[in-house]
Amino acid sequence: MSAEWPLKANTKAVGITIRDLEVVYSTGQGQVPAVNGVDLDIAGGQITGIIGESGSGKSTLAMAIMNAVPHPGRIVKGSVVVDGVGNMLTLDKESQRRARGRNLGFVFQAAQNSLNPLTRVGHQVLDLGRSHNVKDLRGLLRRAKELLHRMGMDADRVLTAYQHELSGGMRQRVGIMFALVLDAQVVILDEPTTALDMLSQASVLEIVRSIHEERDITTILITHDMGVVADLADRVVVMYGGELAEEGETAEVLAHPAHPYTKGLIQAIPRISGDLSQAVALSGSPPDLKTFMQSGCLFYDRCPERVAECQVKRPPYESAGPERKVACFRVMPHD
Amino acid sequence: MIEVRRLEKTFPGKHGLLGHDAVKAVQDVSFRIPDGGAVSFIGESGCGKTTIGRILAGLENYTAGEVLVDGQNLATVDRRQREAVLRRVQLIQQDPYQALNPARTIEQALSDPLKVMAKARGADTAWILQRMEEVLGLVGLEPEAVVHKYPHMLSGGQRQRIVIARALTVEPSVLVADEAVSMIDVSLRLGVLKLLRDLREKFHISLIFITHDVASARYVGEDGQMFVIYKGMIAEQGPTDDVILHPQHPYTQALLSAVPVLKGLESPGSDRYIPLKELDHGQSPENACLFAPRCPFAQPLCETERPALQGASGHQYACHYPQERHVVAVALKE
Ligand SMILES: Nc1ncnc2c1ncn2[C@@H]1O[C@H](COP(=O)(O)OP(=O)(O)OP(=O)(O)O)[C@@H](O)[C@H]1O
Ligand SMILES: Nc1ncnc2c1ncn2[C@@H]1O[C@H](COP(=O)(O)OP(=O)(O)OP(=O)(O)O)[C@@H](O)[C@H]1O
Ligand SMILES: [Mg+2]
Ligand SMILES: [Mg+2]
Repeated sequence: MSAEWPLKANTKAVGITIRDLEVVYSTGQGQVPAVNGVDLDIAGGQITGIIGESGSGKSTLAMAIMNAVPHPGRIVKGSVVVDGVGNMLTLDKESQRRARGRNLGFVFQAAQNSLNPLTRVGHQVLDLGRSHNVKDLRGLLRRAKELLHRMGMDADRVLTAYQHELSGGMRQRVGIMFALVLDAQVVILDEPTTALDMLSQASVLEIVRSIHEERDITTILITHDMGVVADLADRVVVMYGGELAEEGETAEVLAHPAHPYTKGLIQAIPRISGDLSQAVALSGSPPDLKTFMQSGCLFYDRCPERVAECQVKRPPYESAGPERKVACFRVMPHD
Repeated sequence: MIEVRRLEKTFPGKHGLLGHDAVKAVQDVSFRIPDGGAVSFIGESGCGKTTIGRILAGLENYTAGEVLVDGQNLATVDRRQREAVLRRVQLIQQDPYQALNPARTIEQALSDPLKVMAKARGADTAWILQRMEEVLGLVGLEPEAVVHKYPHMLSGGQRQRIVIARALTVEPSVLVADEAVSMIDVSLRLGVLKLLRDLREKFHISLIFITHDVASARYVGEDGQMFVIYKGMIAEQGPTDDVILHPQHPYTQALLSAVPVLKGLESPGSDRYIPLKELDHGQSPENACLFAPRCPFAQPLCETERPALQGASGHQYACHYPQERHVVAVALKE
């Protein structure tokens, strides 16, 4: 392995501490609290999977971590402290810009289409380097090549290619290369496999897994597929209607889900072995504008375990055992 | 009953700047589906699954081979019969957004085909309304809750149910579901898969299920046949659970390895492997195994001779060196 790669001993894994984060979109129909009172510790050096249905606020949370929520969204309050960088929400604009790319690498949702269609991939690497004042542009290209090669691609071909010449799976790989080429210690991947077939998905996930391990980085993986988090993530965070429903160590959450929504998501995964009748569909529709207005538990309408209290009060997000937090009145804290 | 023999489809090549060679999208594919039966086609993007579905639905012609629907040959029936035959085969496409006209309510979307049906059988408006309620009920939707809505007001799962309801209005005997759940939120997919399964059971509708996801193919057609397609050819075929539990072809094994392993509930199969190299869409040499360039087990013979389907009649595979491998995740004991 080349000396360009950061060695494990040299790097200190970067964690992120999110407190009381609130993001609102102003729309014709009113204010959408897309992220509401989120407290979350992203552990350094781990893969954290953030899962939730469409509209649950995953992308908004990711954007807020980088203080890059697009109009008409607005971060109303809260803090996002990135180790070694500071609070992304109060840093001056220039330091924020530098942090995005240098410290926080990001692959956008639909990265399929986020490359510049008119410029060759290699040029885009150089543009990225210049915008971050990279002195050694040759070294940067070399790192880009190494990464592409590492991901099973013909690096020279890819660097001279335009976006339309690459398949969906290749574009995702290129997106991951961009997120890593400046040696970011945190990478945020928003739905990196959604538009891919199973085999491309598996190979992209395999790449994420091995690069994560080699570089000892902090990885945040956003997806609506429980299977993807269950396979890859060390920790899982379940979002529902802009709030956190449950988090914990992946194997623990999968084996002993506490929140009824988490249970539902796990049961709804069809399996390739065992009894098919164990798979149960999740009922109802994903959260929408009306859900956010509810005063009680956001999951109330769809919950098979609801009681009267759930309709009137929002359950607090509380510790329910070691490394585990849950927002549900039906879950008794472990002793 | 549908019977397909030695189906072949070649898309002609193009000259010029964006030109390409002729594409052999489907080669030598044969299968049959009894009434109420299920056949699934699995394979990665670009392997020819959609082309097979479109041919069965009469939307694409074919280069060679025979397609028989209830004994009638699609290539030789006269035009009017052909229409009647094809009405029995309904295609459900991947994208429910595109399949529905955004400017028309659900009621309008469903009444078009129902009017045609009503005319054919001399029924009146009351019949149309009653039938509309019936088909919506079949797909698990509350008629009052959806008929006056526009497609954008529904969730992806609800929209795909409407598309299925519309297909049911013409009382088909075959549904061709092409990636019917892949655009729907994962949490809602199982509901639609269950609906397809129920339609088979209750109405004896046969199902052709096209997907890249082995698990959903198993869910709708555990009792049916599975066809693993690679670059337009059958790599492996057999009863669904046989193919999944005793896969012989390395490509099938790659697809099965790609199914996520649920940490805490399962451990990975001991032979699990995932090829990092992407499918190349170029021409393959006529006398080599199509999968050889990506196959970790390829031998010299694989580069010089294309393997034919072999194996007992029920379960067959096109591989010179078939070998069962343990790639499916194993449930952990509690
Ligand atoms: N630009 C916008 N304008 C108005 N509302 C928005 C905007 N972007 C997101 N929202 C709303 O904010 C909420 C959260 O959206 P977000 O995109 O963060 O969800 P998500 O979990 O990433 O969903 P998906 O799985 O579909 O990507 C949704 O209700 C969405 O409608
Ligand atoms: N109209 C067409 N003209 C030329 N080539 C075509 C045409 N339609 C499909 N092809 C080619 O035929 C092959 C099979 O395509 P097909 O759409 O059937 O694959 P698929 O398995 O359905 O893929 P996906 O999973 O991406 O939907 C591909 O190489 C494709 O590029
Ligand atoms: Mg999103
Ligand atoms: Mg297709």
